[in-house]
Amino acid sequence: MNIYSYIIRRLLYVIPVLLGVCLIIFILFNVLSPDPTLIMLGKHASKTQMMELRAELKLDRPWFIQYIDIVRSTFTFDFGRSWSTKQEISEMIKNGAIPSLTVTLPAFLVSFVLSISISLFVSFYRGKIIDRSIVFVCVALMSISSLAYILYGQMFFAFQLGWFEISGYESGFPDFIPYVLLPILIWVVLSVGPDVRFYRTIILDEVYQDYVRTARAKGLAESTIMFKHVLKNAMVSIITYVVIRIPFLILGSLLIESFFSIPGLGGIILNAINSSDFPVLKAMTVLSALAYIIFSVITDVLYTIVDPRVRLK
Amino acid sequence: MKNEAQKSKSLWYHAWESLVSDKMAVTCLIIVLAYFLLAILSSLGLVASDYAKEIGPSYAPPSSEYLFGLDIFGRSVLAKTIKGTEVAMSVGLVTGIISMIIGVFLGAVAGYFGGKIDEVIVWFYTTFNSIPYIMLLVAITFILGKGILAVYLALGLTSWVGLCRLIRGEFIRHKDREYVQAAAAIGGGDFRKIFKHILPNVLHIVIINFSLQFQVAIKSEVILSYLGLGVQGRPSWGTMINDAKLELARGNWWQLAAATAAMMVVVLAFNILGDALRDALDPKLKGK
Amino acid sequence: MTEKILEVKDLVVEFKTDRGKITAVNGVNFEVFKGKTLGIVGESGSGKSVTALSIMRLIPSPPGNVAGGTISYRGKNVLDIPLDQMRTIRGNEIAMIFQEPMTSLNPVFTVGNQIEEVLELHQPELDRDQRKEKAIEMLRLVGIPSPENRVGEYPHQLSGGMRQRVMIAMSLACEPDILIADEPTTALDVTIQAQILELMNKLQREMGMGIVMITHDLGVVAETCDDVAVMYCGQIVEQSDVKTLFNNPKHPYTKGLIDSIPSFDSTTGGAKGRLPTIEGMVPSLFDLPEGCNFQNRCKSVTEKCRGPHGEPKLTEINPGEFVRCFHPLS
Repeated sequence: MNIYSYIIRRLLYVIPVLLGVCLIIFILFNVLSPDPTLIMLGKHASKTQMMELRAELKLDRPWFIQYIDIVRSTFTFDFGRSWSTKQEISEMIKNGAIPSLTVTLPAFLVSFVLSISISLFVSFYRGKIIDRSIVFVCVALMSISSLAYILYGQMFFAFQLGWFEISGYESGFPDFIPYVLLPILIWVVLSVGPDVRFYRTIILDEVYQDYVRTARAKGLAESTIMFKHVLKNAMVSIITYVVIRIPFLILGSLLIESFFSIPGLGGIILNAINSSDFPVLKAMTVLSALAYIIFSVITDVLYTIVDPRVRLK
Repeated sequence: MKNEAQKSKSLWYHAWESLVSDKMAVTCLIIVLAYFLLAILSSLGLVASDYAKEIGPSYAPPSSEYLFGLDIFGRSVLAKTIKGTEVAMSVGLVTGIISMIIGVFLGAVAGYFGGKIDEVIVWFYTTFNSIPYIMLLVAITFILGKGILAVYLALGLTSWVGLCRLIRGEFIRHKDREYVQAAAAIGGGDFRKIFKHILPNVLHIVIINFSLQFQVAIKSEVILSYLGLGVQGRPSWGTMINDAKLELARGNWWQLAAATAAMMVVVLAFNILGDALRDALDPKLKGK
Repeated sequence: MTEKILEVKDLVVEFKTDRGKITAVNGVNFEVFKGKTLGIVGESGSGKSVTALSIMRLIPSPPGNVAGGTISYRGKNVLDIPLDQMRTIRGNEIAMIFQEPMTSLNPVFTVGNQIEEVLELHQPELDRDQRKEKAIEMLRLVGIPSPENRVGEYPHQLSGGMRQRVMIAMSLACEPDILIADEPTTALDVTIQAQILELMNKLQREMGMGIVMITHDLGVVAETCDDVAVMYCGQIVEQSDVKTLFNNPKHPYTKGLIDSIPSFDSTTGGAKGRLPTIEGMVPSLFDLPEGCNFQNRCKSVTEKCRGPHGEPKLTEINPGEFVRCFHPLS
């Protein structure tokens, strides 16, 4: 079996998963959720008002048709209009993706490079005081609520010290830069803890392998062993960990975007939650699931390319 | 079979030995138990029962009289923090149990029976896992309404996939081992094999995962509170941190600090305990 | 007498563990000669692998450290030389192969790449093409068919025996003086074992290196070694040339090991009755007995072995024949 038929087979599996995602969305939002017309019209709405609204929102149609609608929107990207803002949802998403990415993409890259460097460093000094202290700091950092970071960060660095913009956003390069610096910093602090711990585990898994002993017996220097032999093996796991997170970058961070008033997708989701805007929530769910599924295919394929041991079955 | 049982018994014994010899782990265990005790005492009304009472001026800063200061309604932040322990520990516990039951059951069934059953379960969790966590949380709380029950279920129903995968993998590895075949030879049924023979051998994974799940749930409760989907009508660390977003700009930092610190200590303890458990129970990771 | 290239004297290696310090190697002495093979035999935990690793200075530290003794390679003590200088010796003058050919090669580099890496390190005068050529030549030397193609393959594409051949090719690429082989055939099928041992014998004749053969298998010793040291609980209990050892073992432990080798009776064609084994267990290094370490398993144990006289010393009872026993067999 060659790589192409593997990719095709892997892509075919996307279909049942996607249909399943639509099914779960349908069950959660169309079947189990309380009647959205009640939320929208309030308790004192008349029966006819409710019926009219249901018809307008196409909620009076048979369940099967409603499910098919969700499936159709997944392939056409036509999600209809938002209940609260009446905007075209695909338009909202298009406009929101860029601001989200201006925060998440640099934050992702910075934290990736930083975490890998720190974890190589601590793996080199594994078991020593410096390793233990850094790991402890990472765990301690992870133990603080992300909300606390945002609140303190905004309060202290932006409000009191005035180093950063407190909140807001301007589109267009380079105007957005001052607004995204603190959000990026907070994102990096939030992800360094878990990332270093994960990468360290992966790297240490490799450090104790027999081939490392062989490399030492060959007379290679520790640094060559770390950067050449260990890192290349660790990369197999690291790639799968990293690539699968890319779709989440587009989604942005709900909390960070809402606190810093960045008009990204995270903010859109938050508004939709607050206003029970089901079409927007469904659209975001479908899209992020789709992105996740596609990137997991990419991860699997990359995996087979990077790791010569993987035999395609 | 007997051998395997002995091995697993001595594994637990050694794990316990190595755990109690680790001072850090013991400290963390004591911290966790202390939090549980506090939660139980507060739910019995023995401590912090006056959390809802106005005992002084609004936003009185920390002092010898009001140890952690007072909130907007003049309520004791200390009492609220203690009361919050109740929510946090119950959320951690119930969520952990829900996700454990689902994860172990589906993972065991998929791994043990294989074939079509496995395919369906793998499809189900792959699908489930494709939907962002936050969206599932939101949808489930929409359905269940607000309140602590919704928090339990939302967090529990969304956090089982990782465990399910691990358990499935372990069951696939174990089901063909000699001791399981030996059990089959003396006429053990599937149910017996799953629960009596294989499960004890993968129990360490369940325990490690539980301790991880516990602290993730405590942290997630804060996010739910921020989204307005959290616990209603009684203090939780989430609502305290969430309230603080309006207070901080006015210099009232103590409510945020108290809730953050209370949460950090127990989550940190769980993290370290989880690592120690993993080192003690998973011999192949030992020494790392 | 051929040239002595390695001399280990009073080597002591300790390990720190959760339960206290253990002495994994306790006062070991031996010599390695050019073109000769020294076997170090023992059960797992006897300290034979630790001894081998300490020659390469590959003892993981912490928890291990060499607490005493000298290891002289061509007159210099390898324990004293700085680590960066040690690296010029490793793989170049003293090379090592390991038990698990499956895991000892790096899975994400081609075998050619891994052989070339040693050459790049120790023979910088070679250019890329020369290194590749040499790698192919080495693969051919160790009997890998169509080495031009194999050179670009990854370890998982080769069988266990082939991988061990690659390990040997890699270790001999720089024509070392000493090859340390730590259980090189244990993980392999019996037929492959014999092929690998034969290959090592052949290469030794061609290249003239001294070999330290670490093994638990006396069969391997019989097939490859000139001299043997038997280790038990971190100490050498018997040391002599291979013929003497097999024909006339002096230590009850050695005798036990030899007796437990399965053999066929040529007259009946069947196995000779019940295979004798050594009763009992190796004592824990945390809890060694007073007196002789072998007392709990020894058939000829006496009161003398149980403590009052201390532990037996390694004594030369015949020229070149050493034994650590109060009651050596005759």
